[in-house]
Amino acid sequence: MRDKPPDKLRVEEDIKELMVRYRPIITFRVRKAIGAQNTDCDDLVSEILSQVMENISSGKFRGESSLGTFVYTITSRRIIDYIREKTRVMKFAPEPEPFPDPQETLEQKEMSEKVQAALGKLKPKYRNALYLYYYQELSREEVAARLRISPRKVSELVNYALKLLRKEIKT
Amino acid sequence: MRKCKFEDMIDGYLLNKLSERDKELFEEHYFNCPACFEELQARSLIINTIKNHPEVLASEEVRAKVPLAARLKRELAAVFNVRQLATAGIISLIFLAVIIAVVPKRQALLPGFTLTDTETVRGSSITLISPVIDMNQVPSFFEWKKLGENVEYQISIFNHELLWKTTTKENRVVLPDEVKAKMVPGERYSWQVKAFGPDGSLIAVSSRVQFLVSPK
Repeated sequence: MRDKPPDKLRVEEDIKELMVRYRPIITFRVRKAIGAQNTDCDDLVSEILSQVMENISSGKFRGESSLGTFVYTITSRRIIDYIREKTRVMKFAPEPEPFPDPQETLEQKEMSEKVQAALGKLKPKYRNALYLYYYQELSREEVAARLRISPRKVSELVNYALKLLRKEIKT
Repeated sequence: MRKCKFEDMIDGYLLNKLSERDKELFEEHYFNCPACFEELQARSLIINTIKNHPEVLASEEVRAKVPLAARLKRELAAVFNVRQLATAGIISLIFLAVIIAVVPKRQALLPGFTLTDTETVRGSSITLISPVIDMNQVPSFFEWKKLGENVEYQISIFNHELLWKTTTKENRVVLPDEVKAKMVPGERYSWQVKAFGPDGSLIAVSSRVQFLVSPK
Protein backbone atom coordinates (compact mmCIF):
# COMPACT_ATOMS: atom_id res chain seq x y z
CA MET A 1 0.00 0.00 0.00
CA ARG A 2 1.38 3.42 -0.95
CA ASP A 3 1.81 6.07 1.76
CA LYS A 4 -0.77 8.82 1.59
CA PRO A 5 0.76 12.28 0.94
CA PRO A 6 1.02 14.13 4.27
CA ASP A 7 -1.74 16.57 5.14
CA LYS A 8 -0.02 19.97 4.77
CA LEU A 9 -2.02 21.62 7.54
CA ARG A 10 -1.39 18.79 9.94
CA VAL A 11 2.32 18.81 9.17
CA GLU A 12 2.48 22.53 9.96
CA GLU A 13 0.65 21.97 13.23
CA ASP A 14 2.97 19.10 14.21
CA ILE A 15 6.09 21.14 13.44
CA LYS A 16 4.75 24.07 15.44
CA GLU A 17 4.00 21.72 18.36
CA LEU A 18 7.44 20.21 17.98
CA MET A 19 9.19 23.55 18.33
CA VAL A 20 6.99 24.97 21.07
CA ARG A 21 6.22 21.95 23.20
CA TYR A 22 8.90 19.37 22.50
CA ARG A 23 12.03 21.46 22.15
CA PRO A 24 12.33 22.02 25.95
CA ILE A 25 11.57 18.33 26.61
CA ILE A 26 14.22 17.16 24.12
CA THR A 27 16.70 19.64 25.62
CA PHE A 28 15.98 18.37 29.13
CA ARG A 29 16.39 14.74 28.07
CA VAL A 30 19.64 15.41 26.19
CA ARG A 31 21.16 17.42 29.06
CA LYS A 32 20.22 14.70 31.54
CA ALA A 33 21.78 12.00 29.35
CA ILE A 34 25.07 13.59 28.32
CA GLY A 35 25.55 16.30 30.93
CA ALA A 36 24.43 19.92 30.62
CA GLN A 37 28.02 21.17 30.48
CA ASN A 38 28.61 19.09 27.36
CA THR A 39 29.20 21.49 24.47
CA ASP A 40 27.49 19.08 22.05
CA CYS A 41 24.11 19.54 23.76
CA ASP A 42 22.75 22.28 21.50
CA ASP A 43 23.96 20.57 18.31
CA LEU A 44 22.39 17.30 19.37
CA VAL A 45 19.04 18.96 20.14
CA SER A 46 19.10 20.69 16.72
CA GLU A 47 19.88 17.40 14.96
CA ILE A 48 17.01 15.66 16.73
CA LEU A 49 14.59 18.45 15.84
CA SER A 50 15.68 18.35 12.18
CA GLN A 51 15.31 14.58 12.09
CA VAL A 52 11.80 14.71 13.57
CA MET A 53 10.78 17.52 11.20
CA GLU A 54 12.06 15.58 8.21
CA ASN A 55 10.09 12.52 9.29
CA ILE A 56 6.93 14.56 9.76
CA SER A 57 7.33 16.40 6.42
CA SER A 58 7.99 13.22 4.46
CA GLY A 59 4.94 11.55 5.93
CA LYS A 60 6.89 8.92 7.88
CA PHE A 61 5.05 9.96 11.03
CA ARG A 62 1.53 8.77 10.34
CA GLY A 63 0.04 9.31 13.77
CA GLU A 64 0.09 5.61 14.68
CA SER A 65 1.68 6.53 17.98
CA SER A 66 1.46 9.88 19.75
CA LEU A 67 3.78 12.62 18.54
CA GLY A 68 5.35 12.53 22.03
CA THR A 69 6.28 8.84 21.73
CA PHE A 70 7.58 9.42 18.19
CA VAL A 71 9.80 12.30 19.36
CA TYR A 72 10.91 10.28 22.40
CA THR A 73 11.98 7.34 20.20
CA ILE A 74 14.04 9.51 17.83
CA THR A 75 15.59 11.38 20.78
CA SER A 76 16.58 8.16 22.59
CA ARG A 77 18.07 6.60 19.45
CA ARG A 78 20.10 9.69 18.66
CA ILE A 79 21.42 9.85 22.25
CA ILE A 80 22.45 6.18 22.09
CA ASP A 81 24.21 6.79 18.73
CA TYR A 82 25.98 9.82 20.16
CA ILE A 83 27.23 7.86 23.19
CA ARG A 84 28.41 5.02 20.89
CA GLU A 85 30.31 7.48 18.68
CA LYS A 86 31.93 9.06 21.72
CA THR A 87 32.75 5.67 23.19
CA ARG A 88 34.68 4.77 20.06
CA VAL A 89 36.52 8.08 20.03
CA MET A 90 37.04 8.69 23.72
CA LYS A 91 37.07 5.08 24.92
CA PHE A 92 34.80 6.18 27.74
CA ALA A 93 31.24 7.34 27.23
CA PRO A 94 30.23 10.52 28.99
CA GLU A 95 28.86 9.62 32.39
CA PRO A 96 25.33 10.85 32.98
CA GLU A 97 25.14 13.59 35.55
CA PRO A 98 24.58 12.28 39.08
CA PHE A 99 21.97 14.99 39.48
CA PRO A 100 21.06 18.15 37.57
CA ASP A 101 24.15 19.94 36.39
CA PRO A 102 25.89 22.40 38.72
CA GLN A 103 26.70 24.78 35.87
CA GLU A 104 24.01 27.34 35.78
CA THR A 105 23.02 29.56 32.87
CA LEU A 106 22.09 33.14 33.67
CA GLU A 107 18.39 32.34 33.60
CA GLN A 108 18.89 29.27 35.72
CA LYS A 109 21.04 31.28 38.11
CA GLU A 110 18.23 33.76 38.62
CA MET A 111 15.80 30.93 39.22
CA SER A 112 18.23 29.23 41.55
CA GLU A 113 18.58 32.44 43.60
CA LYS A 114 14.82 32.56 43.81
CA VAL A 115 14.74 28.96 45.07
CA GLN A 116 17.52 29.68 47.59
CA ALA A 117 15.53 32.61 48.97
CA ALA A 118 12.44 30.42 49.19
CA LEU A 119 14.37 27.64 50.91
CA GLY A 120 15.66 30.14 53.46
CA LYS A 121 12.09 31.14 54.32
CA LEU A 122 11.01 27.57 55.14
CA LYS A 123 10.61 26.46 58.74
CA PRO A 124 13.52 24.33 60.08
CA LYS A 125 11.43 21.12 60.05
CA TYR A 126 10.92 21.45 56.26
CA ARG A 127 14.52 22.45 55.61
CA ASN A 128 15.86 19.48 57.58
CA ALA A 129 13.58 17.05 55.76
CA LEU A 130 14.60 18.44 52.33
CA TYR A 131 18.31 18.37 53.28
CA LEU A 132 18.25 14.74 54.36
CA TYR A 133 15.98 13.57 51.54
CA TYR A 134 17.46 15.41 48.57
CA TYR A 135 20.99 16.36 49.61
CA GLN A 136 21.88 13.26 51.62
CA GLU A 137 19.64 11.11 49.36
CA LEU A 138 18.37 9.12 52.33
CA SER A 139 15.20 7.06 51.93
CA ARG A 140 12.00 8.26 53.58
CA GLU A 141 12.44 5.58 56.26
CA GLU A 142 15.99 6.73 56.99
CA VAL A 143 14.91 10.36 57.19
CA ALA A 144 12.08 9.31 59.50
CA ALA A 145 14.50 7.49 61.81
CA ARG A 146 16.85 10.48 61.86
CA LEU A 147 14.13 13.01 62.63
CA ARG A 148 12.23 10.60 64.90
CA ILE A 149 8.98 10.94 62.95
CA SER A 150 6.98 8.52 60.80
CA PRO A 151 7.82 7.94 57.09
CA ARG A 152 4.35 9.25 56.28
CA LYS A 153 5.18 12.47 58.10
CA VAL A 154 8.39 12.75 56.05
CA SER A 155 6.34 12.54 52.84
CA GLU A 156 4.01 15.20 54.15
CA LEU A 157 6.90 17.50 55.08
CA VAL A 158 8.67 17.06 51.72
CA ASN A 159 5.49 17.43 49.65
CA TYR A 160 4.33 20.48 51.54
CA ALA A 161 7.77 22.08 51.30
CA LEU A 162 7.77 21.48 47.52
CA LYS A 163 4.33 23.05 47.28
CA LEU A 164 5.53 26.14 49.15
CA LEU A 165 8.64 26.36 46.98
CA ARG A 166 6.69 26.09 43.73
CA LYS A 167 4.41 28.87 44.93
CA GLU A 168 7.41 31.09 45.72
CA ILE A 169 9.10 30.35 42.38
CA LYS A 170 5.98 31.27 40.40
CA THR A 171 5.61 34.68 42.03
CA MET B 1 -6.35 18.25 40.24
CA ARG B 2 -5.69 14.51 40.34
CA LYS B 3 -2.07 13.51 40.68
CA CYS B 4 -0.52 11.56 37.77
CA LYS B 5 0.59 8.06 38.80
CA PHE B 6 4.03 8.71 37.28
CA GLU B 7 4.64 11.72 39.52
CA ASP B 8 6.09 9.49 42.23
CA MET B 9 8.92 8.58 39.85
CA ILE B 10 10.20 12.15 39.50
CA ASP B 11 12.52 12.12 42.54
CA GLY B 12 13.86 8.67 41.64
CA TYR B 13 14.52 9.80 38.06
CA LEU B 14 16.35 12.97 39.06
CA LEU B 15 18.38 11.21 41.76
CA ASN B 16 19.19 8.28 39.40
CA LYS B 17 17.49 5.75 41.64
CA LEU B 18 15.17 4.19 39.03
CA SER B 19 15.82 0.87 37.30
CA GLU B 20 16.67 1.09 33.58
CA ARG B 21 13.15 -0.11 32.68
CA ASP B 22 11.39 2.40 34.94
CA LYS B 23 13.66 5.14 33.67
CA GLU B 24 12.66 4.42 30.05
CA LEU B 25 8.97 4.20 31.00
CA PHE B 26 9.12 7.51 32.79
CA GLU B 27 11.05 9.19 29.97
CA GLU B 28 8.48 8.14 27.39
CA HIS B 29 5.77 9.29 29.77
CA TYR B 30 7.06 12.83 30.27
CA PHE B 31 7.33 13.27 26.50
CA ASN B 32 3.55 12.76 26.51
CA CYS B 33 2.48 14.31 29.83
CA PRO B 34 2.82 18.12 30.06
CA ALA B 35 1.89 18.09 33.78
CA CYS B 36 4.68 15.65 34.67
CA PHE B 37 7.22 17.51 32.55
CA GLU B 38 6.32 20.78 34.22
CA GLU B 39 6.71 19.16 37.65
CA LEU B 40 9.95 17.50 36.53
CA GLN B 41 11.45 20.85 35.51
CA ALA B 42 10.41 22.51 38.76
CA ARG B 43 11.70 19.62 40.89
CA SER B 44 14.93 19.54 38.90
CA LEU B 45 15.51 23.22 39.65
CA ILE B 46 14.83 22.68 43.36
CA ILE B 47 17.06 19.61 43.68
CA ASN B 48 19.80 21.30 41.67
CA THR B 49 19.71 24.28 44.02
CA ILE B 50 19.74 22.04 47.11
CA LYS B 51 22.70 20.07 45.74
CA ASN B 52 24.68 23.21 44.95
CA HIS B 53 23.71 25.23 48.03
CA PRO B 54 23.11 22.81 50.93
CA GLU B 55 24.19 25.50 53.39
CA VAL B 56 20.84 27.29 53.04
CA LEU B 57 19.03 24.22 54.27
CA ALA B 58 20.45 22.21 57.09
CA SER B 59 20.82 23.19 60.68
CA GLU B 60 24.17 22.32 62.29
CA GLU B 61 22.32 19.74 64.37
CA VAL B 62 21.08 17.81 61.34
CA ARG B 63 24.41 18.13 59.48
CA ALA B 64 26.24 16.69 62.48
CA LYS B 65 23.91 13.71 62.50
CA VAL B 66 24.96 12.50 59.05
CA PRO B 67 25.95 8.86 59.62
CA LEU B 68 29.47 7.74 58.83
CA ALA B 69 28.21 5.21 56.25
CA ALA B 70 26.27 7.86 54.33
CA ARG B 71 29.21 10.29 54.41
CA LEU B 72 31.59 7.55 53.28
CA LYS B 73 29.22 6.61 50.44
CA ARG B 74 29.08 10.21 49.26
CA GLU B 75 32.85 10.70 49.55
CA LEU B 76 33.56 7.46 47.66
CA ALA B 77 31.04 8.34 44.95
CA ALA B 78 32.75 11.70 44.54
CA VAL B 79 36.20 10.13 44.07
CA PHE B 80 35.51 6.80 42.31
CA ASN B 81 33.10 5.87 39.57
CA VAL B 82 30.96 2.71 39.66
CA ARG B 83 33.47 0.68 37.59
CA GLN B 84 36.37 1.51 39.92
CA LEU B 85 34.30 0.69 43.01
CA ALA B 86 33.25 -2.64 41.49
CA THR B 87 36.88 -3.53 40.69
CA ALA B 88 37.94 -2.69 44.26
CA GLY B 89 35.07 -4.83 45.58
CA ILE B 90 36.07 -7.84 43.46
CA ILE B 91 39.74 -7.57 44.53
CA SER B 92 38.67 -7.40 48.19
CA LEU B 93 36.49 -10.49 47.77
CA ILE B 94 39.34 -12.47 46.17
CA PHE B 95 41.68 -11.39 49.00
CA LEU B 96 39.10 -12.45 51.59
CA ALA B 97 38.56 -15.82 49.86
CA VAL B 98 42.33 -16.50 49.92
CA ILE B 99 42.50 -15.71 53.64
CA ILE B 100 39.50 -17.93 54.38
CA ALA B 101 41.02 -20.77 52.30
CA VAL B 102 44.50 -20.59 53.87
CA VAL B 103 43.92 -19.86 57.58
CA PRO B 104 41.84 -22.92 58.55
CA LYS B 105 44.35 -25.24 56.80
CA ARG B 106 47.20 -23.91 58.90
CA GLN B 107 45.21 -24.55 62.05
CA ALA B 108 44.23 -28.04 60.89
CA LEU B 109 47.89 -29.10 60.77
CA LEU B 110 47.96 -29.20 64.57
CA PRO B 111 46.20 -32.26 66.03
CA GLY B 112 43.89 -31.72 68.96
CA PHE B 113 43.01 -34.22 71.61
CA THR B 114 41.18 -34.19 74.91
CA LEU B 115 42.82 -35.09 78.17
CA THR B 116 39.91 -34.63 80.46
CA ASP B 117 36.51 -33.05 80.10
CA THR B 118 38.03 -29.63 80.68
CA GLU B 119 41.58 -29.96 79.37
CA THR B 120 42.56 -29.94 75.69
CA VAL B 121 46.12 -29.92 74.40
CA ARG B 122 47.34 -29.31 70.86
CA GLY B 123 50.66 -30.95 69.96
CA SER B 124 52.26 -34.22 68.80
CA SER B 125 51.24 -37.53 70.29
CA ILE B 126 53.29 -40.24 72.06
CA THR B 127 53.18 -43.83 70.77
CA LEU B 128 52.84 -46.41 73.51
CA ILE B 129 54.76 -49.69 72.92
CA SER B 130 53.99 -52.02 75.84
CA PRO B 131 51.67 -53.10 77.33
CA VAL B 132 48.97 -52.39 74.75
CA ILE B 133 47.27 -55.80 74.71
CA ASP B 134 45.92 -58.05 77.45
CA MET B 135 48.70 -59.59 79.59
CA ASN B 136 49.04 -63.06 81.11
CA GLN B 137 50.67 -61.56 84.16
CA VAL B 138 51.27 -58.16 85.71
CA PRO B 139 53.69 -56.31 83.40
CA SER B 140 57.12 -55.63 84.89
CA PHE B 141 57.85 -52.57 82.71
CA PHE B 142 56.09 -49.91 80.62
CA GLU B 143 57.62 -48.64 77.36
CA TRP B 144 56.84 -45.92 74.82
CA LYS B 145 58.45 -44.28 71.80
CA LYS B 146 61.07 -41.63 72.56
CA LEU B 147 60.30 -38.08 71.41
CA GLY B 148 63.74 -36.41 71.68
CA GLU B 149 66.42 -35.19 74.08
CA ASN B 150 65.70 -33.17 77.22
CA VAL B 151 62.16 -34.46 77.47
CA GLU B 152 60.73 -35.59 80.77
CA TYR B 153 57.94 -38.16 80.75
CA GLN B 154 55.23 -38.57 83.29
CA ILE B 155 53.61 -42.00 83.36
CA SER B 156 50.31 -42.62 85.12
CA ILE B 157 48.68 -46.00 85.74
CA PHE B 158 45.00 -46.15 86.56
CA ASN B 159 42.69 -48.70 87.97
CA HIS B 160 39.36 -47.07 88.76
CA GLU B 161 41.48 -44.19 90.01
CA LEU B 162 45.12 -43.20 89.83
CA LEU B 163 47.20 -46.16 91.03
CA TRP B 164 50.70 -44.87 90.53
CA LYS B 165 52.48 -41.92 88.90
CA THR B 166 56.17 -41.26 88.28
CA THR B 167 58.50 -39.22 86.04
CA THR B 168 61.58 -40.26 84.04
CA LYS B 169 63.83 -38.99 81.25
CA GLU B 170 63.91 -42.48 79.70
CA ASN B 171 61.29 -43.97 77.43
CA ARG B 172 60.85 -46.94 79.75
CA VAL B 173 60.01 -47.47 83.38
CA VAL B 174 60.25 -50.59 85.54
CA LEU B 175 57.27 -51.14 87.77
CA PRO B 176 58.28 -51.16 91.49
CA ASP B 177 57.34 -54.28 93.44
CA GLU B 178 54.98 -52.36 95.75
CA VAL B 179 52.94 -51.20 92.75
CA LYS B 180 53.09 -54.65 91.16
CA ALA B 181 51.61 -56.03 94.36
CA LYS B 182 48.59 -53.71 94.01
CA MET B 183 47.78 -55.04 90.52
CA VAL B 184 45.74 -58.21 90.60
CA PRO B 185 44.82 -60.72 87.87
CA GLY B 186 41.34 -60.33 86.35
CA GLU B 187 41.38 -56.53 86.63
CA ARG B 188 41.53 -53.92 83.89
CA TYR B 189 44.12 -51.15 84.00
CA SER B 190 44.97 -48.20 81.80
CA TRP B 191 48.05 -46.06 81.38
CA GLN B 192 49.06 -42.80 79.79
CA VAL B 193 52.27 -40.84 79.20
CA LYS B 194 52.70 -37.06 79.08
CA ALA B 195 55.86 -35.38 77.81
CA PHE B 196 57.22 -32.09 79.18
CA GLY B 197 59.78 -29.77 77.62
CA PRO B 198 62.86 -28.32 79.42
CA ASP B 199 60.77 -25.35 80.59
CA GLY B 200 58.18 -27.69 82.11
CA SER B 201 55.54 -27.07 79.46
CA LEU B 202 53.41 -29.95 78.24
CA ILE B 203 54.46 -30.82 74.69
CA ALA B 204 52.81 -34.19 73.98
CA VAL B 205 50.32 -36.64 75.40
CA SER B 206 49.67 -40.29 74.55
CA SER B 207 46.26 -41.86 74.26
CA ARG B 208 45.01 -43.75 77.27
CA VAL B 209 45.50 -47.47 76.60
CA GLN B 210 43.64 -50.21 78.47
CA PHE B 211 44.88 -53.74 79.19
CA LEU B 212 43.57 -56.72 81.15
CA VAL B 213 45.71 -58.83 83.47
CA SER B 214 44.27 -62.25 82.67
CA PRO B 215 43.04 -64.33 85.60
CA LYS B 216 45.30 -67.33 86.40
